[in-house]
Amino acid sequence: MKPASPLLMLLPALVLVPLAVLLPPLVHGGGWELIGDFALAAVTPSLDPVVLASLLKGLGVTAGMALLGWAGSLVLGLVLGACSSRTVWRTLTGSGVPAELIRRLLALPRAIHELIWGLLLLQLVGLQPAVAVLAIALPFGALVARVLSDLLDALPTANLEALRAAGAPAPAALLTALGPALLPGVLSYGGYRLECALRSATLLGVFGLGGLGTDLKLTLQSLEFHELWSGLWLLLAVMLALEAVISLLRRRWLVPGRFVLARRGVGERSREMLLTLAALLPLCVLVGRGLGVDPAALLHWQLLPGLGGGDWVATFALPWPRLVGGTLLLTGLAASLAVGLAPLLLLLVAPVGWARQGLRLLWALGRLWPPPLSALLLLFVLEPGVITAALALGFHNLGVLGRLLLESAESTDPAAEEALACGGSGPRLALLYGRFSALARPYLAYGAYRADVILRESVVVGLVGATGLGSQLLESLSSFAWDQLLALVAVYALLTLVGEDLSDRARRRWLAAL
Amino acid sequence: MAAGPATAVLALRGIRVSGRDRPRLEDVDLSLAPGERVALLGASGAGKSTLLAVANGLLSPAAGTVLWEGQPPARSRRGRRRQQARIGTLWQDLRLIEELTVQQNLNAARLARWGWPRALLNLLLPLDTEACAAALRAMDLDPALLEQPVTALSGGQRQRVAMARLLRQEPTLLLADEPLASLDPRLAAELLALLLAQAVAPRALLLSLHRPDLLDGFDRAVGLKDGRVLFDGPAARVNAALLADLYGGTPPGVTA
Repeated sequence: MKPASPLLMLLPALVLVPLAVLLPPLVHGGGWELIGDFALAAVTPSLDPVVLASLLKGLGVTAGMALLGWAGSLVLGLVLGACSSRTVWRTLTGSGVPAELIRRLLALPRAIHELIWGLLLLQLVGLQPAVAVLAIALPFGALVARVLSDLLDALPTANLEALRAAGAPAPAALLTALGPALLPGVLSYGGYRLECALRSATLLGVFGLGGLGTDLKLTLQSLEFHELWSGLWLLLAVMLALEAVISLLRRRWLVPGRFVLARRGVGERSREMLLTLAALLPLCVLVGRGLGVDPAALLHWQLLPGLGGGDWVATFALPWPRLVGGTLLLTGLAASLAVGLAPLLLLLVAPVGWARQGLRLLWALGRLWPPPLSALLLLFVLEPGVITAALALGFHNLGVLGRLLLESAESTDPAAEEALACGGSGPRLALLYGRFSALARPYLAYGAYRADVILRESVVVGLVGATGLGSQLLESLSSFAWDQLLALVAVYALLTLVGEDLSDRARRRWLAAL
Repeated sequence: MAAGPATAVLALRGIRVSGRDRPRLEDVDLSLAPGERVALLGASGAGKSTLLAVANGLLSPAAGTVLWEGQPPARSRRGRRRQQARIGTLWQDLRLIEELTVQQNLNAARLARWGWPRALLNLLLPLDTEACAAALRAMDLDPALLEQPVTALSGGQRQRVAMARLLRQEPTLLLADEPLASLDPRLAAELLALLLAQAVAPRALLLSLHRPDLLDGFDRAVGLKDGRVLFDGPAARVNAALLADLYGGTPPGVTA
């Protein structure tokens, strides 16, 4: 009894069964009126020019931080990616061993979420625009480095060897043989990371690092829902515009999409790609000026108080099994919700054409809406805890996965679905059998990757309390317990690395049959 | 509607389908009686595929009426699905679901009649094994193939599975768009014979063909040229002159 692929895709949605049992007791019913006000405010956002001007300013700051952090991560990622590529080391020195070492070292910055980076840097160098930029650039850079080195080492080396045999110096040979083949993959991934950077910059704002996120949190806390929605709609417009531009460029340059991990893009107009990248440089300088980013200020460190004489007994006495268990439970719930709900919702709305557009909008809102804010909103009606946090985190990731699924469903061959519909099976079953069959494996493979992202991300909903490592980490941070903080970050990183390994294995297994 | 014993399985009247610069079909009349086996002939671009798309409901004509077993296209979604369930199409690209087993593919033809529980169960357990095995046997296939994924099949086997799926749907109208195009001559003749054997009353078969040498088992032939019906008569009366007129030169497939 082996479930066939379309059925596998629906299995994660079974998480709804325990949720349906566990959720009702959590409803305290205090704030339904507030939720109603919040929902109504969606159609009556504040149009007050003063409010809009302030929100636009915040949006500018957020977008600027995202752009700079992203550009920094690209530069960092290119350098570190080359440093952790076996092919590069082998060509330059004859041995690929250092690459392996650097690759392992880079796992650490990658495993720590940008929020933790942001909060740590905030303690070290004080509040300044560069903190958010650096918080994005560091982990993103390590991520770009990994993807880049994977791409590099997967390229065939025949060209490279031919150039070397003809006497070309190693750096020139590397650039000529691998550069052009690498560009489409880098741009495709880079574009995706820019979208992530915008979301991260908003999230960092929620934790006080400035920009629109800070405005959103303040308006939510003071229950100014009309102003909150003005900010959300603005952010939505910017995010959708950015996604549209990126997907337009992807199509124009024929670089591969994010979902089809196995297929390699051809890539066209490489000169245009390079020019676009070059044009970003002066833009970044201008934005940096505008934001008042001062790299020199990053050098003034405040020393961490009391790290030497840490209370390691108290640190050891933390309820570690419960913290780790809570984090894993949160991750599992949120990942199953996100992975399972996307195909389920698509099936539900299949017979109604316009409902798909509604779903698209809902998912866009989920993507841009920082999870800690949805968690705060949920607290109006739910008790704090793992489930509340999982709902918030799941909704956010549903936005990411849903968009991916919808886009790939729309770009795959419609023949099988059409044939089924033509034989009289309803639109839902035609979608399930005809399209989901082919999509299930790549989708679940992506879901496995996403689960690892969710594990890393689980810290951001720590503020609703009792969610495991995340909430403990925020607590230790606010009580300046550096020893605990260090231990928590280490455990978090370890978990994420194990998770990364597991999700890699799952992904390879799912994609093996392709 | 008078539902006498001779109600046409498919009746097209005055069908017109617009195209970019000229109509893809113009004033097409065609009627299929139960048990009738009709071959659709014509050069590429003559409108054979368009006509089949109108016949299976994929395409709504700009003008004219379509009647399936005497009924116009149903208005309600449910009624329409019931109608579609009685129209079986053998697609040129087969349209098997590559990720599923042979049995699951055969059962996919029952989705129109099944509810959700069985549709989901089919993805987990082998359902209706007896009926599926019978469909395979009718196509000269070994029922042991049922558990195989369709990706493991040879080209000829895939063709037969697609035909078995058609049987499993139990349609009254069988439509096929050049199903033999990519097969070697012997296999083509063999599969065509199997398909023709299934087209007995109350079923009727409409099959587009680009090899006039395979006309033997058909009752009638309909020739399309530039979107219009050029001739419609007994298959035995198709001769070289008619074909030359139809294809505007030497008939294809004679040497193929």
